[in-house]
Parts: sequence; C-alpha cells; structure tokens
Amino acid sequence: MTAMEWRFLLATALGGAIYLDRTAAFQLMLHRPLVVASLMGAIFGNFAAGAQVGAVLELLYIARLPVGASIPPDDTGAAVFGGAAAAVASSSIGLDPGSFVAILLLSVLCAEFGKYADRFVRRMNGRIAHLTVEWMDRGDSQAVEHGLRAGVTLFAVFGMALTILFSGLGISAARHLLTRFGPESHFQFAALLPALPLLGAASIFSCSRTDRTAPVFYLTMGCVFAATFFFRWLG
Amino acid sequence: MGGIPLRIRRKVWLRQFFLQGCWNYEGMQNVGFAYSILPALRDRYENRPEDLSRALKRHVEFFNTHPAMASVILGAAVRLEERVAAGEADPRAVGTFKVGLMGSLGAIGDSYFWGSLKPMASAAGAILAFVHPLLGIAALLLLYNWSHLAIRFRGFAAGMGGEESAVRFLREAGFAERTENRKMIAAILGGAYAGWVASHAAHLFGGAWMELGIFLVAATAVHLFTVLFRKAVSPSEVLLLLLLVGTLILWR
Repeated sequence: MTAMEWRFLLATALGGAIYLDRTAAFQLMLHRPLVVASLMGAIFGNFAAGAQVGAVLELLYIARLPVGASIPPDDTGAAVFGGAAAAVASSSIGLDPGSFVAILLLSVLCAEFGKYADRFVRRMNGRIAHLTVEWMDRGDSQAVEHGLRAGVTLFAVFGMALTILFSGLGISAARHLLTRFGPESHFQFAALLPALPLLGAASIFSCSRTDRTAPVFYLTMGCVFAATFFFRWLG
Repeated sequence: MGGIPLRIRRKVWLRQFFLQGCWNYEGMQNVGFAYSILPALRDRYENRPEDLSRALKRHVEFFNTHPAMASVILGAAVRLEERVAAGEADPRAVGTFKVGLMGSLGAIGDSYFWGSLKPMASAAGAILAFVHPLLGIAALLLLYNWSHLAIRFRGFAAGMGGEESAVRFLREAGFAERTENRKMIAAILGGAYAGWVASHAAHLFGGAWMELGIFLVAATAVHLFTVLFRKAVSPSEVLLLLLLVGTLILWR
C-alpha cells in the first residue's frame, strides 16, 4: 500500500468514529470542524493548515441548531473536505488567501450533500426501528439490541463512506482546482477573506443574542478593535 | 427484591450515550431509549419474559428530547419501572411521566446546550486555535464536556432518586441562569473575534479614517448576517451566494 492509501484508510476509520459522535453515539463534540479539520490536516500532511480552516468553519454553521427533527448542514463533512484540501494545497501550491477562501466556500457543497445523506440514513433507520418493534412483538427482547447495533453500524458505514468521498474530493480540489484560485489565477477569492470570519461571528451572535448580550457584543467588538488600533499606533 | 444493583445502573448510564443510535423519523429516540433501559428491565423481570416484553414495549413508543437531558428521564424511568415491577405503581405512569417531561427538557436542553454552551465553547476554541490549534481543540472539548458530562451524571442520579428528585434537580440546576450566563460569554467572545477580524482587515488599508470606515462596514456586515440568520436563512445559502459572487463578479 502507498502512503496515500494508508492515509485514506486512517481517515476512513476516524471518519466512522467522528460521524458516530455527530449523532449516534456520545456527542462529545469530537465531530466539530475544529477537531475534524485538524485531524484531517494531520493525516494528509499539514496539521496547522487543517486547523486554520477548521477554526473558521467551526463558527460558520453554529447558527443552525439540530432542534427536533431538523437536520443542520453537515459541518463535519465540510471539515473533512476542508482539512484534507488545506493540507494537500499547503504542501503543493502553498495555502494563499485565495485558495483558503475557495476551500471554505467549496466545502459548503459537502455540507449540503452530507445533510441529505444524513436524512437518508435516518429514513433507513425507520425501517430498522419498524423491524425491531415487529421482532419484539414476537417476544424477542434482544431485538432492541440488534436494532440499535444495526442503526449505529449504518451511521458508522455512512460516515466512513462520506469521509472517503469528501477527503477524496478535497485532495482532488487541492491538486486540480485550487491552482485556479491562487494569487496568479483569474479568480481573486482573497477579496472575500474578511467576510467569512465575520459570518462566523454573526453565527455566534445570532445564537447568543438577547436584549442583554446585544450591546455587550458590539461594545466588545469596538473595544478589541480600538485596543489593536491603539497598540499598532504605539508601534 | 432489593434495589437495582450498581453494576446495572452503571450499564444503563453508559448506554444512554447511544440514545440516538437508531434515530429515525417515526419513533425518533425510541429504540435508543429501550436499549438504554433494557439492563434494568432484565434485572427487574428476571425469569418473567412476558412481563419483560410488556415493559420493553412501553419504551419503544415515540420519544424525543435533548440527548444529554434524557439522563434525567432515563433515571426516573428506571426508578418508576422498579416500582411497577414491585406492584407499587401503575405501568401507565411510566409513559405519562416520559411524555410529560420530554418536551420541556428538550426545549431546556436545546436552549442550554445548542444555543449557549456550544457557541461559547466553539468561540473559545476558534479564538484559542489562533494561539495554538491544540489549545483551541482542548478548550472546545473541555468547556463543552465539563458541563455536558456533569449533567449526564447528576441528572441520571437525580432521576434515580424518583420523579420528585428529578424535578428538584431541574429546579435547582438553574438552567435559565446558566443559559443566560453562557450566552453572555459567547457574545463577549464573538464580539472579540469580530473586532479582531475587523482590525486585521482594516490594517491592510491603513489610515485612521479608513480603519474606522472598515470597522463600521464590519459591524454592519455582522448585523446584516445576524438578521439573515434570525430570519432562518441558512449559513450554506450565504456561503453559496459568496461562492457565486466570487466566481462571477471577481472574474478578471
């Protein structure tokens, strides 16, 4: 096996675990973009580049809450794509601001695809749950354990499949597409760079906004801005 | 018959982490809840397979709440099943208790965990990741799980004390105050993050008035994005729009 195949194998195994943490088991936040993108970055050769993408992705989708039956965009999938792409791009062409923004924006396609895959898994789980109840009606108390294991396995298998797909797409994008987004290309995505962290800040603000917190948010923003301005002026 | 042994309680507590293992649109967390409580039911209905089957069926009814808050209901349901098996309570009380509590606990959990604790931990993690990625990851995981695991543990223990103990726990835990405090911290961290980003962008242009202008643009952008999110616009839609803008308008 080549080094890249080993990396894919490791990413797939980890992908199963992080996707389980997302819904089916534990929910210890191991599936958060900061963690996932850093891990993918480490696996594909550049931990710091993965973490850089993960830190911005971490906040982008936080405004969408998994309340009730609603399924938010798959930020874990976006982080798998982003972490792999950032690691490969930073080692081959260097992670310039244009490529960085392009990775973040392209990752939204994975987030949306992952959301539909999640819905599909949950529909399949409906069939498993139905069979579980049927078997229980026949007096098999172990059916619950079998049903749950089947559900968890389904989540893990889909997680692994999505990790292979998204990391593969990330690597392909870094090798073939991102060269078009660099400083010498026709696309100047770097101009959009400040918009993405601000979008992340708005995401936090929309979650935490109350009558009390709104003035505090803008006051802190102003104070931090003024402080950095003052220290720069001091030299 | 004595109480449920510690080893069984531990098993039930650990199984709660798989509450969403078979999440589906019809029964939602029903299979997960039945799976979690199964060791306790097996202990109570040993050598009584028909009673076990009847008890288990009570728990494959529709169930949905916040996964971390489910620990309270799970503990109380174990306690109630204990009383039902001893003939001290009506079996219908189990379903009534679960249905009565799952909605309100879901709302409290969503507001506390998803609406305040997660944004706070994420913001702290994202900011500290600029110092060192490992510091950011550690902050995110510690800030979230410190509270998450404590509630899972204490909530289950309170539930095991009975319905009244569960309700007392929920009253004394002060979730409303905790939510408000964490929202405040998240707002401070979010504001600091936005201020730092605005300052970083402004520095590229130079000049005091220009920098002030950039700050105002950044504050307006944050406000606009927040209004969009509040009107249920998805971040994905905003990002797709930016992707379109980047591809079409910035073409040179």
